[in-house]
Amino acid sequence: MKTILFYIRKLFAVVKNEVLVLPSRVAVIFFFLFILLLPFFTDDVYILRIFTLASIFAIFAASWDLLSGFTGQMNFGHALFFGVGAYGAALLNLHYQIPPWGSIPLGALVGVAAGLIIGIPSLRLKGTYLALTTLAFPIILLGLVFTFPGFTGGELGISGIERLAPTRVQEYYIISVLMLGLCTIMWAITDSNTGIIFHAIREDEIAVRASGVNTTRYKLLAFCLSGFFAGIAGGLYAHFMRIAGPSTLEVSLSFQVVIWAIFGGAATIYGPIGAVFFLYPLVEFMHVLKDYRILMFAFVVLLVLLFMPDGLFRWLREKVEEECPRCKVRNIATRKTCRVCTAPLD
Amino acid sequence: MSQAFLEVKGITKKFGGLTAVNDATFSMDRHQIIGLIGPNGAGKTTLLRLMTGILKPDSGSVRFMGKEMAGKKTWDIVNAGMVSTFQNMRPFRRLPIIANVMVACLSPRALKRGEWVKKIEAKAMDALEFAGISDMARENASVLSQGDLKRLEVARAIATEPELLLLDEPFGGLSPAETDLMAKSIKRLHKGGRFGRLHSEGPAMIIVEHKLHWLMQIASRIIVLSFGTIIADGTPDEIIKNPTVIEAYLGQGGN
Repeated sequence: MKTILFYIRKLFAVVKNEVLVLPSRVAVIFFFLFILLLPFFTDDVYILRIFTLASIFAIFAASWDLLSGFTGQMNFGHALFFGVGAYGAALLNLHYQIPPWGSIPLGALVGVAAGLIIGIPSLRLKGTYLALTTLAFPIILLGLVFTFPGFTGGELGISGIERLAPTRVQEYYIISVLMLGLCTIMWAITDSNTGIIFHAIREDEIAVRASGVNTTRYKLLAFCLSGFFAGIAGGLYAHFMRIAGPSTLEVSLSFQVVIWAIFGGAATIYGPIGAVFFLYPLVEFMHVLKDYRILMFAFVVLLVLLFMPDGLFRWLREKVEEECPRCKVRNIATRKTCRVCTAPLD
Repeated sequence: MSQAFLEVKGITKKFGGLTAVNDATFSMDRHQIIGLIGPNGAGKTTLLRLMTGILKPDSGSVRFMGKEMAGKKTWDIVNAGMVSTFQNMRPFRRLPIIANVMVACLSPRALKRGEWVKKIEAKAMDALEFAGISDMARENASVLSQGDLKRLEVARAIATEPELLLLDEPFGGLSPAETDLMAKSIKRLHKGGRFGRLHSEGPAMIIVEHKLHWLMQIASRIIVLSFGTIIADGTPDEIIKNPTVIEAYLGQGGN
């Protein structure tokens, strides 16, 4: 009994001293609560569908950030992983009757294989050359899909896949809880020692090599991790939409993910997730504007990139929080002194 | 017969028509500090880069502690114990200074040597403390001055606990007082010992430098390069009096 009380008290202390003191952490708590409690406020299938898809694309955008934002390996063909995951899960489910809980991880493993396949030839390339090479891979695969319509369904795609769960609310919970979990894992990876090496590779690869770190291994690791998470997103998409079509490999999807990540703030993980949950519903709810919808979307994105070049969510964070000049601990912007070392904040 | 600590044999590198390093051959012992000097463009930095695998030699061999290093990957060479700093410093500018050093502490060699160190960060801190910039550990590397960037380069190199340290112009851009400090810490490093959680093997060193006054105080042996060829090799006193060296530096009749 005493130990339980001790841990409860410790939990309260952590929440009070570490979480509630920073607006960004409170925002994350609110985001979790919003995602988990949404079905209690609305059972509108349309809204649930929008947020389910937003969850899927949030995993997808965060996985792009892991590869391109952190490690600096500009990937303009990220739809490849998504499409491979979707087609992999769909084919396994259709031909081998593997249920979703098996086909999605297996589809993600196909994504890992795709990461290796494009990662190995891409190791020698940098910057623009890498971006253009990666752009080609989903287009090649799209060509293959159209060439073998008997196996891949051609332009119509593969339909008749098993549903993830019987009801919309159950599907929503499966996907959103997975999203929260996977994004937390991605954030933990980037916050670990591995994340420091990813950052360093983006900054200066030669210097990382000269520090004795095998950059080839870490770059391939980044490709594989990114392929795995994007593959899961693709598998979830296939089972949610019950179709895996050529749209999952389209160039527009590759660029969509870049827009999301840059909009929210690259190399943050939370930026792309926030951007998807901001932009995806926005575009959906703007359908009242009819044909001006895409124009408005472009306007919003350009406005953010013009005035907040580091991304919307990083900009917001800089506004509400301040770094202590002495101990580098973050503080809420309204404080006069640092909460840890009491140095004056200006 | 015991094998030489480092044996460079006939190493050659051509950039197009220019022969940057031509048939360089020398060997060194475990406890030497070699000064590598020569006029601008003599191929000093190229020679270091060939040794650490950043550039691939056209021909020749580098044997380090009995193992062939020419043609190996840079990280394998570093993990074998030969590490170099960069002349034009290459910090990870958008990372905190401590993270710069932590990258080196995460190399397999450093991890194996410091198995008992639970926190990588603590070891990186000791390397920074040795280099004298630990008070700025949490700042971004972009705020550092030229001199402090040199220190950061040294901290990053010694974090891998090398057997052979190649320093490329460690005094470049430092004021006389800073140079004095740096020279002292290089001597201290060469003696070896424990600096907190960081263990110095007392590495052998090859120092490329233009400030001959300080170099002569540290180095026990000087190698002179000119147009990619080794033209002299000896103790500092011999080198100062060597007529070929004087000619290479000052031109004919320069004395």
